[in-house]
Amino acid sequence: MSSCSPASGLAPRILRMTGRVCNEAASKQADIMDGDQTLSAKRIIAPVADDTVLRDVRVGDRILVSGIVYAGRDAVLPKVCREFALGAAGLPKVDFHGAALMHTAVSCAGIGPTSSNKAEIEESFGPLLAMGIKVFLGKGALSKATVDALGRFGAIFAVVPPVTALLQDALKESHCLAFPELGMEAFYELHLERCPAVVAAAGGESMFEGL
Amino acid sequence: MDYKEIVEAIAESLVTSGSTFRADKVRAYECAIERETDVNARWVLQTILENAIIAGERKSPLCDDTGIPHVLLDVGEDVSVDAGLLRAIEHGVALGLERLPGRPMAVKGEGEDRLGQTLGMYDEPSAVQMAPIALRERRGRGLTAHVLMFGGGPAIRGRSFRVFHKHDAANVERQIVEWAMEACDLLGCTPCTLAIGIGRSHYEAANLMLQAQVDGCYDEQTPLEQRITNAVNEHGKGVMGLGGCTSVLATFAKIGPARASGVRIVCLRPCCCFEPRIASVKLD
Repeated sequence: MSSCSPASGLAPRILRMTGRVCNEAASKQADIMDGDQTLSAKRIIAPVADDTVLRDVRVGDRILVSGIVYAGRDAVLPKVCREFALGAAGLPKVDFHGAALMHTAVSCAGIGPTSSNKAEIEESFGPLLAMGIKVFLGKGALSKATVDALGRFGAIFAVVPPVTALLQDALKESHCLAFPELGMEAFYELHLERCPAVVAAAGGESMFEGL
Repeated sequence: MDYKEIVEAIAESLVTSGSTFRADKVRAYECAIERETDVNARWVLQTILENAIIAGERKSPLCDDTGIPHVLLDVGEDVSVDAGLLRAIEHGVALGLERLPGRPMAVKGEGEDRLGQTLGMYDEPSAVQMAPIALRERRGRGLTAHVLMFGGGPAIRGRSFRVFHKHDAANVERQIVEWAMEACDLLGCTPCTLAIGIGRSHYEAANLMLQAQVDGCYDEQTPLEQRITNAVNEHGKGVMGLGGCTSVLATFAKIGPARASGVRIVCLRPCCCFEPRIASVKLD
């Protein structure tokens, strides 16, 4: 086998050292195994019940998100901000208070975070915060203005590793809620179990300072 | 190979490209995990690697952005390329997109409708057209096709631009490092592999950037490539902006012909944590 040929026979060693949820108690803590050490992860059930749930979540915390997570990206989020806020005819009734939203397409290829700093997505944070969304899942550096807005609303932004094959196991159900004409960019409702993420913005602080 | 065999070979290569890491990339990740000191960054690196193992076993996409197919042909001295071969490759790409499956992201309409994405998208993965086929002459015999899948994030953060070298290669290197740092800081899916083509025109530089991904190997870095990687890692924001020392896994640079001029054209693609997504197959 040449040095640049496809990998084979490497799985056992890799799998032994990588992250697996090994203990998820009824409490709000779960453990992720990381080689020889155990990493703590906070469990978040979406929608979050009240403002106290996220009060202790800090930048750098690992979280596992379960429950209902809405999904949308560039094409649909401006429509959601405009038309759901207006209660436009034909749209389902959705209570966004305490909700979680992942910036992702939904297709036969699976799910995975898209860059949250693309213009239409980042511009949607303000309106969606005002509608009640508390947990944003995506990737990429956000502006200071967005980080500040998240802080004012007591909301968080967490980075999801772009691991579509693994996220396929976390995705239990999905269905299109609105704007089906947008195909993979339509607005979806997902049911996720233990979607892993790292908190990148909370309480007005972030990992992106200096960018 | 006859038409049907070429179609099948290309289709399988596309699936392999979109679902597996090559052995040298696995080794690069293992080294990065060993080196990484930030606990969150290390965890993400491990998760990316585990994802690759699972995707490879299932032959399913590494990433939901399955990418735009690009094909580079290495054409030996005994090979003639005709329209039938190109049609078979195109057919194989479409079949591979259905099998992977590729993300159905081809935009409907023509002209300005297509630009504005106003008519929606096709439902079929195979509606995603491949980029124009590139080819180069190779010494020896036979025909090899390299199938690569280009995601959208690196396209947002990449660039093709001129650099005034002032008759010192260090000035070109310095500019590349500056661009790469900016790109890595904003790209969501690091660690990057920096693919760089340096040529006399934007077209040539982009083609060389594609060749750099085909010829590059994580086990073999030139001094220039290693310096670029080290410089970006020294000041970068780490894996997915979470910190640590692994903004870049490696650099693949291809320096093409130069013209007598104070300018070099540099094409830089900050390939995401899964790229280069590549598979190669002999078609003879």
